[in-house]
Amino acid sequence: MRVVLEQLTKKFGDVAAVRELDLEMRSGEFVALLGPSGCGKTTTLLMVAGIYRPTSGAILFGDRRVDHLHPKDRGIGMVFQSYALYPHMTVAENIGFPLELRRAIGKPERDQRVREAAGRVEIDDLLDRRPSQLSGGQQQRVALARALVKRPDILLLDEPLSNLDARLRHDMRGEIKRLQKEIGITSIFVTHDQLEALTMADRVAVMRNGRLQAYATPDELYARPRNRFVAEFIGTPPMNFFPAELGSRNGSVVARAEGIEVELTRAQLPRGEARQATMGVRPEHLSIVSPADGNVTGEVYVVEPMGREQIVDVQVGERRLRVIAPPGFTGRIGDRVGLRVAAERLHFFDPTSGERLS
Amino acid sequence: MATVVAPVPGRSRWLVLMPYVVLALATLPILVLYVWLFYSSFFPRVEGFRPIGDLTFDNWRFLWDPASVPQMRNRPPVIPLTVNTLLFATLTSLISLLVSSMAGYAFSRLRFKGRRVFLGGVLLLHSFPSVTLLIALFVVLRTLGLYDKLVGVILVQTAFALPFGIWIMKGFFDNIPWDLEMSALVDGAGRLRTWWRIMLPLVKPGLLALGILLFVEGWNQFLLPFVFMPSGSQQTLSTLVRGILGEGRFVDYGLLTAVGLYYIAPVLVLFVLAQDQLMRIYAGGVKG
Ligand SMILES: Nc1ncnc2c1ncn2[C@@H]1O[C@H](COP(=O)(O)OP(=O)(O)OP(=O)(O)O)[C@@H](O)[C@H]1O
Ligand SMILES: [Mg+2]
Repeated sequence: MRVVLEQLTKKFGDVAAVRELDLEMRSGEFVALLGPSGCGKTTTLLMVAGIYRPTSGAILFGDRRVDHLHPKDRGIGMVFQSYALYPHMTVAENIGFPLELRRAIGKPERDQRVREAAGRVEIDDLLDRRPSQLSGGQQQRVALARALVKRPDILLLDEPLSNLDARLRHDMRGEIKRLQKEIGITSIFVTHDQLEALTMADRVAVMRNGRLQAYATPDELYARPRNRFVAEFIGTPPMNFFPAELGSRNGSVVARAEGIEVELTRAQLPRGEARQATMGVRPEHLSIVSPADGNVTGEVYVVEPMGREQIVDVQVGERRLRVIAPPGFTGRIGDRVGLRVAAERLHFFDPTSGERLS
Repeated sequence: MATVVAPVPGRSRWLVLMPYVVLALATLPILVLYVWLFYSSFFPRVEGFRPIGDLTFDNWRFLWDPASVPQMRNRPPVIPLTVNTLLFATLTSLISLLVSSMAGYAFSRLRFKGRRVFLGGVLLLHSFPSVTLLIALFVVLRTLGLYDKLVGVILVQTAFALPFGIWIMKGFFDNIPWDLEMSALVDGAGRLRTWWRIMLPLVKPGLLALGILLFVEGWNQFLLPFVFMPSGSQQTLSTLVRGILGEGRFVDYGLLTAVGLYYIAPVLVLFVLAQDQLMRIYAGGVKG
């Protein structure tokens, strides 16, 4: 089922939680709503679910406007952040509750479908327990089964992984993604964790203060962030930024910042006549070389080994740049090193508006 | 939370026992009174704490042979009075429960115009002494033709019970996370079904506790039945007790203790049976 949000706005009193949101999801697509706390992700989801009525704007499922339909008439399944399992019902009753409300489905079919849904998320052996007798991970599976049992057209997930420990989170990430693809259900997934969004979603909508900042595939968000906020929010450790001056040399454009001087490729050339820019470079696109070989030299400020790699902070003039170094790097604090910049991976943003320049 | 109290053996034992000692001392007089009440009802006379005469069931005659008890002669028989009292207490608590649980839900969950005013009003009504309203109520009941009828008093008692009930139920509903309700809506339930299938089961401890309190309140209610049902046939047990007590020249204490015991026994039993539920009225919450 295709989902379209048009100029969707929600105000709570004077506070606009969501502003003029335009979003279009293809049938079967897995879309993540990503943004910092309080940016309006849950509000958006609850409007799609029909719990909140939009202040203005439209919601379409397929070609049908649904924004004045009751939640029960929208054909959605939802997993809440708290899972919202009914404490007084067993797991089986919880999963069966959405079907209980449908006249057309008799008891035998209901039991059959409850078992089927439970089987999908591998909790067949827990059907007689109460939610209070389940672990967080198991509760989450129950919530998933309950959301899916009525075979909805759209699945909504509000931070489904945030209550799980790191290990389980990783497992469930893969599992939810697989489940979504298996069923082929259009899904919207809310998270504040960029890694979750990048790893699970087909497309990611980045929000901030109720506004859409970017809507693109994970690859594109990473490779060509639309503005500085997105560039900073996507990727760990975060991108390094510094002010740069754009000038020309021998007919080509060069950027100069903190003693770094790089020649820009055609694709990077800024539109218009910008002279000032904020230059951004990801830690993984800087490499540590001998002082003579680098675009710039600096001093090792601190080294954080991470096992597979090390994060090295290098002091360059006034600024500290974060660099990812291979595990073999043996520099110590205070060592002089050179930094090589992957010029084709530089990003330029307007210093005032933060918009991408190229 | 039992945090680590100083691990001095002698002293900590005292600290643990202290509350029990204090409580036991404080409860002792009440306990003694109950015991006294109990055995006085089985003796012809009691002077101080010393029973006079032989063990007898004479005082309890009002149950099986009311005609032989002078004080009972001009009164309705005990069994219909008991039935009335039971009806009165049961109906007031049931009606109050129904209304409180719906109103409490509305106050807790719906944002309607005038909500704050209503809430304030409910609280104000709760602190209103019922005596001050007697005359106004008399006029209302008379006008409606409900004066001197059990139904009328049931309605009045229910009205007095509602503010407390609504307030308590609102508190219980407030404790239920919004998510549960939203989830029920998304699962396809309407408002009414959500209330019935999800919300009500979760406030069951509150309903039980409130129901018991209201029942006891109805059972003990004296003023309203006394004032609004003067002519007898529909009176309740409390008016009988008061009648025997106020019989003029001399009071038959033996009879009074027996009737009194008969009157409070159901309440005592109820309290013992429902202790756990009652405790929860101050500790509401969602737990499976
Ligand atoms: N019922 C409400 N009444 C008033 N303000 C609200 C309400 N719900 C949300 N808001 C406000 O709207 C904004 C967006 O809230 P929302 O819950 O959508 O954020 P979120 O992106 O889901 O954040 P989080 O990651 O913390 O869950 C916040 O500023 C919040 O305070
Ligand atoms: Mg949220």
